[in-house]
Amino acid sequence: MCGICGMVSYAGPPDLTLLRRMMGRLGHRGPDGNGWYRDQRAALGHTRLAIIDTAGGAQPLCNEDGTVWVTFNGEIFNYVELGEELRRRGHTFRTAADTEVIVHAWEEWGEECFSRFNGQWALALWDRRAERLVLSRDRLGVRPLFFTRLPKGLLFASEVKSIFADPRVERAFDPAGLDQTFSFWSPVAPRTAYRGIEQLEPGHYAVLDRDGLRKASYWRITFPERGREPSQNVQENAAALRERIIEATRLRFLRSDVPVGAYLSGGIDSSVTAAVIARYTDAPLHTFSLRFADSEFDEGQYQKQMSALLGTQHQDVMVSRSEIAAIFPEVVRHAETPIVRAAPAPLFLLSKLVRDNGYKVVVTGEGADEVLAGYDIFREARVRLFWSRDPGSAKRTRAAELLYPWMARSPGRVPAFARSFFGRNLDPSDPALSHRPRWDSTAVIKSMLSGDMQDRIGHTDAGDIVAAMPSGSENWDPLSRGQWLEMTTLLAGYVLASQGDRMLMANSVEGRFPFLDRDVVDFANALPARHKLFGLEEKYLLKRAFADLVPADIIHRTKQPYRAPDAASFFADGSPAWFTEVTSERAVAAAGVFEPSVVAGLLAKCRRSGGENMSNTDNMRVLAVVSTQLTHESFIAGGGQWTLDRALPDPSVAVDLLTDDRSAP
Amino acid sequence: MNRNTVEQLLRDYHALRNPETDPELEAVRAAILVEDVFDVVLSDAEIDATVLGDASAVAALVAGLRRAV
Repeated sequence: MCGICGMVSYAGPPDLTLLRRMMGRLGHRGPDGNGWYRDQRAALGHTRLAIIDTAGGAQPLCNEDGTVWVTFNGEIFNYVELGEELRRRGHTFRTAADTEVIVHAWEEWGEECFSRFNGQWALALWDRRAERLVLSRDRLGVRPLFFTRLPKGLLFASEVKSIFADPRVERAFDPAGLDQTFSFWSPVAPRTAYRGIEQLEPGHYAVLDRDGLRKASYWRITFPERGREPSQNVQENAAALRERIIEATRLRFLRSDVPVGAYLSGGIDSSVTAAVIARYTDAPLHTFSLRFADSEFDEGQYQKQMSALLGTQHQDVMVSRSEIAAIFPEVVRHAETPIVRAAPAPLFLLSKLVRDNGYKVVVTGEGADEVLAGYDIFREARVRLFWSRDPGSAKRTRAAELLYPWMARSPGRVPAFARSFFGRNLDPSDPALSHRPRWDSTAVIKSMLSGDMQDRIGHTDAGDIVAAMPSGSENWDPLSRGQWLEMTTLLAGYVLASQGDRMLMANSVEGRFPFLDRDVVDFANALPARHKLFGLEEKYLLKRAFADLVPADIIHRTKQPYRAPDAASFFADGSPAWFTEVTSERAVAAAGVFEPSVVAGLLAKCRRSGGENMSNTDNMRVLAVVSTQLTHESFIAGGGQWTLDRALPDPSVAVDLLTDDRSAP
Repeated sequence: MNRNTVEQLLRDYHALRNPETDPELEAVRAAILVEDVFDVVLSDAEIDATVLGDASAVAALVAGLRRAV
């Protein structure tokens, strides 16, 4: 994991000073070293978190004759196998790093190389002879890659703040990006929260040359037609899933030249990955957990149980509401986008714990909920479908009681509320039936927008995510359609970004996610839906597959998704000074996103209650306002003066073909 | 769909269940599974713990509903 940035300029030589400034804003992603390359048309920058071939893998890195250069963030986990194949085909390697596989794979297979990679990556390849830049991003969006188009070129970077190092780049909210955020919880690629800043879609590559920028996909999220899944045998499928998860976990634990730790949340996903490491590798395991002072969110007893069972060296960090409030501005500055949950904040503290213990890589259970159907949203959808077959049935109405038993204020305990919530806007033919309740409840935020922002959103086209569903998806199982929507929106835009990459990299820690392994995902997507969600039993096949490695009370405990204290954190012990400042009527008016009087009314209401018993709607409203205001203050107001600039050490790679006539390194 | 399939399904299902759950609610839970797996729609009378707890009854019920479609 690293930071990458660069530029292509067909109008004149790239600005090396700008490149160094861009790199300086990515120092947190790569504190172990840095390097750059420049020629007449392009410049590539790299800040390194050294994990594989720590001595020899400095970047940017080139092929044998120096005509193809790469700057790369991430891991190609099957680089050993690909390297062997490329050597057999005559390629010569100078390093033992996975990075070098990329340039040779590009030479050998062109754009087809990306479908051969099993990993998590964002990269830029520069072909000097063709004067062509190629950007590529992993299948599901684990690693970020942003760019902005210039009149005769392009700037790209791992984080937007790096692109903003160029004063020519406009700093303004994109109304369509905000519109998506206040429905889907994040912008959907290629959109971002900023006008003129794009993100490369997961599973895509882009080619820039003198003819312009073209994008294409090398992989898509897809599912078989319901009833035509390749294997219907649950035992065989459980065994095959187990085999793939074991291999994916082993690859992510063992393919590293530095020690790898693991997160342990107390749920089944991270318990499985930690148990696999303990069972199938010889290395000692260090595990890390989040604890919450709020008992409603704490899973400490399960974490301790699993840690004791596996014999791991275990550490946790106890998170309080006041800590969430204190670090929230820094969290938003790393996330770089409005968020409607405070959940990234504790994860920031968790990655800090990892780093403070000398680790820079962790394996986590991220992705299992999307890939193997663990989220309540999928159970909700099944209940809604069941309900819709006879909405007048008293028995079917009781199905709402089966949802959310873990919640202190479960809808099942207030049947009238459940009926109004799950029965609202219910259309069984709606391809997005699974997501309407979430999108509708989130969209309440938009009622707080200023008149001007509402007008601007009204004049933009945020794109229709439902219309973008693949042709043939009408024949998928409804669960598959829900999974497609979840992977396309929340997984890439929020879970892997604001809650994932940014919170890990803020403390220079790389996350590795076995459940998002290419072979695991392809296999899981081809499973019959009932093997994932068996009635209302979530992640059914995963539980079957690992029943011998994970204790029954963890496997069968009531599902508790990762949640953290939310907006109450800003009111419980009095509001912090920064909060009062960024939410003042003056600041809200200056940002222009929300209506100041409406914000003032909401905050006054929350202050009166001290944040107690806030509704989900008010929670999201407060988080949306605060994070939007912080985003504005950090990146837009006053030209976006706030940065993470840090002085970089001397580069280990510095190739300037403008001043140095070398044609090879 | 045959009797063995239904029996296996119900065995897998009951292995997950808590016998102390409210029987009517348990019937609703089972009905959600049966409707999803077999692509049928049950009547309120058929959403019944006695019916849905018996493999023969479920097999007959599903076969009958499928014939009726």
